[in-house]
Amino acid sequence: MKLSRRKFLAASGGAFAAAVAAANLTSLKAVAESGHGDAQTGEKGEKHIASSCEMCVNKCGFYAHVVNGRIKKLNPNPRFFKSRAMLCARGNAGAEEPYNPERLKTPLVRDGERGSNKWRKISYEEAFQIVAQKLAEAKTKYENRSSVAFFSSEGLQEGSFQMLAQTYGSLNTVRHPSLCLSSTIQGWSSVYGVYPDADLANAMFVVMPGANRAEALVTPDSMDFLRYRPKGQQLVVLDPRFTNTAAKADKWYPVKPATDMAFMLAMINVIINEELYNKDFVANMTEGFDELKAHVQQYTPEWAEKECEIPADEIKWCAREFAKYAPRSVIYPGRRTSWYVDDVAFRRACAIIPALCGCWDVPGGIVPKSGVPLKNPDIMYPFYDMVEERLDVESFGEFDNNLPDDARKEAGLPTDSVAYLGEKDGSWIRFREAVLRGEPYPVKMMMVYKQNFVEAAPNRAKTLKMMEMMDFICMIDIQMSDTAFYADLVIPESTYLERWDVVHSLAGIWPIATFRQACIEPVYQTKSMFEITGGIVDEMLKIPELWDDTDEEELEYFKEDFVEAILHAPIQDYIKYQVSGFENGYEKLLKDGVIYKTDQGVYGQSAKPGYRFKTRSGKIELTNVKYPDKGLDALPVYRRARQPKDGQFRFILGRHGWNTHTGTQNNEFLWEIQKENTLWINSKEALKLGIKNGDRVVVKSSVGEQTVKAEVTEKIRPDCVFYAHGFGRVSKGMSLVYQKGASQAAILEDYIEPISGNAAMHETFVTVSKA
Amino acid sequence: MATKKFGIVLDAKKCLNCKACTVACKFENTIHPGEDDYRIWVTELELKGTYPNISQEYQPSQCQHCENTPCASVCPTKATYKSPEGVVLIDYDKCILCKACMTACPYDARYENVHLHAIDKCTFCYQRQPEGREPACVETCPTRVRVFGDLNDPESEASKLLARNHTYQLKPERNTRPRLHYIK
Repeated sequence: MKLSRRKFLAASGGAFAAAVAAANLTSLKAVAESGHGDAQTGEKGEKHIASSCEMCVNKCGFYAHVVNGRIKKLNPNPRFFKSRAMLCARGNAGAEEPYNPERLKTPLVRDGERGSNKWRKISYEEAFQIVAQKLAEAKTKYENRSSVAFFSSEGLQEGSFQMLAQTYGSLNTVRHPSLCLSSTIQGWSSVYGVYPDADLANAMFVVMPGANRAEALVTPDSMDFLRYRPKGQQLVVLDPRFTNTAAKADKWYPVKPATDMAFMLAMINVIINEELYNKDFVANMTEGFDELKAHVQQYTPEWAEKECEIPADEIKWCAREFAKYAPRSVIYPGRRTSWYVDDVAFRRACAIIPALCGCWDVPGGIVPKSGVPLKNPDIMYPFYDMVEERLDVESFGEFDNNLPDDARKEAGLPTDSVAYLGEKDGSWIRFREAVLRGEPYPVKMMMVYKQNFVEAAPNRAKTLKMMEMMDFICMIDIQMSDTAFYADLVIPESTYLERWDVVHSLAGIWPIATFRQACIEPVYQTKSMFEITGGIVDEMLKIPELWDDTDEEELEYFKEDFVEAILHAPIQDYIKYQVSGFENGYEKLLKDGVIYKTDQGVYGQSAKPGYRFKTRSGKIELTNVKYPDKGLDALPVYRRARQPKDGQFRFILGRHGWNTHTGTQNNEFLWEIQKENTLWINSKEALKLGIKNGDRVVVKSSVGEQTVKAEVTEKIRPDCVFYAHGFGRVSKGMSLVYQKGASQAAILEDYIEPISGNAAMHETFVTVSKA
Repeated sequence: MATKKFGIVLDAKKCLNCKACTVACKFENTIHPGEDDYRIWVTELELKGTYPNISQEYQPSQCQHCENTPCASVCPTKATYKSPEGVVLIDYDKCILCKACMTACPYDARYENVHLHAIDKCTFCYQRQPEGREPACVETCPTRVRVFGDLNDPESEASKLLARNHTYQLKPERNTRPRLHYIK
């Protein structure tokens, strides 16, 4: 087996080296022309450099207006059609990031208790030596490379961090999806085999359950639903909160939380029983219609009305309108869907509706994402003997259930891992449970790339307890995040305006690929994650104990094909190789910031003869074929969720358009828009509790409490309260928002959706009282 | 048609209140954060109704570049003047900071720029005109709330929008004849 891998490695490594050699001459010229590659300071003059944004996940294109070596402004790139050539508040405010007075400027090693904010400045070289030494210690002490966990956040440099994880050989990588969207990916994929997009630029009837596209911006959806909305398009929003999206909707249903599935099942009931479905499409493209039909007979609109508090007539209207406009009708898949413990079942119900009406892979419907073809070198990492399998897999025994005490416990959900664990992603909550338990092996060290789990993950007290168990924590970030604040070693990365990043294909109906080039020299001589990985790997190679459990020959190939050919080469070589399939691809990237095959929407890829959906049956599965193998429901079954008792409120999450998660609140241009968060509480409930607008109130759950100003409003259901993410911070290195407002992580209980492993963050009940 | 007449047509119903325009303006026109200075703004209009029957609208705005210009009329040093395209501008050297214009402006569009020692306000990003670029607020908007153009050119996108929609102006009773037109 090793031999065949070896051959494969040799072939792919050689191809990469040859392509780079061929492209090298032009690259040097282009780099010089774009104003980089020389180390001169005191740069004079103006220039406009194409690159892409890192203030959120969307990576919108811009031209940086650079005056005398300093970013003056970021202007939207007119060629960046995926974002419809816009730049949002955060995208504009990004121009402050290199100059933020509190950005990390030099590596810092802890010089006091954890969290004491006492640090000693060290060089990058020292930092790399410390990391390599600690990695060697962990390997020697625990004889298991998986004793070091690698946590990372999404981004163009995440791959560089994964290179470090794979070089070390730990299988415990924990990425962000299980605190975000893994349940909607799983739910939609269980029907279509993929997680598709909704074509809001062409749809005539849009049902948006919970997604807040007016404030949680996703390109191009957030633009299309207002800017390119077809005449007559109807938008129906289900949300317990009157978001800006609800404000733009034709109908807002303030749905009772945790009952959205009842609404969807009743829509299916009406579409089937009134024979509104697309009979040809169902017959030719789908699997399990008869089972679905029998299953939904119990879910009448009248039944659903009692569950979700949306009138039966409205549900019928939605079902009929949806079918009337099909195939230009969509149920919006959504993104951060870490809501409830049965979220995958709910997403399945959503996904089934467009399938019944044939709203698939056509303009205005649900459309599978397309990508831009890029080349990526196959990197073969050494095999190591001292590696245990992931900590959150099923073979390691039962976990605490992490399910609330209600009917959903009867769903046969797994209690010994998750049904479909992402191999690289893991399940954040399950992983933390396993670390805390310390069995079957200890995880004692953390390498963290920009994942601020202290504020991002529910139940902060548990997260801090996990961190206390660590021998060593290393954080790589651009700012002193809450997680960095509790680390032992903090390594600054250059901001996205100061570095080169590899090319990524942004998949969707309008696929486009983008990259980053440095718009300015690093203001504080910081490094990119690519350079940090290179520096750490070099130090690792000086420590023989790190390599004594692998094959010597394999190690030599690794050094030659990866360390020398990739890590020691300029990152520009990697980028050139990625776009070597395009004529003048690299030059186009430098000039335009983007590369693509077409600027038109891509439809109908799955309509080609012989197309097989990536499901077990090869068809669209109304009834899932493989789920019963794991004891899971083949069809979405509604099981009643518990609801808050008198005096309790359900705490629901969300954000506004000017902040991303926990990353942007300390940017002064965004901070001045919102300086702290406020607790939204329904005016009638506030009156009962004697709470007036602006009063300070205590919000208390079973795991924590926070004090925050009340915002008495009509914009939320009486049984819910809400405050925005990213405030009430514990890091003193983010002084604008340190202890300003309230933290979500501090009060959220840690429930889990056990099919996808997603966190379930809308299951926490709180009490509210005057402070 | 000899001269250009710059104006903006706004469709406030498209406004997400995302603040892209206000942040873009600050960088383009070097307005420092934390000083409560701004050239453009988005007003959250009062919420109408009670739960669950409610509605919320936003009103993005800025200097109206009035044809009848109260700020210019009251200026003792003629620091406020109009460009050939009708854009209301300020000669910072002539401004003596008497603030009469701030009082005269019905739209509260002016502020004291302590760095320039002068009164300041929206200029439709006049510095971008030589390159033919749109104002920063127009260019950056995710949903294209504002359309900027020559209202004397019937073929401009702004003129077409103005012709095809019923529009209104802010505080018409002040007879300032603003160059900002809001689509009803």
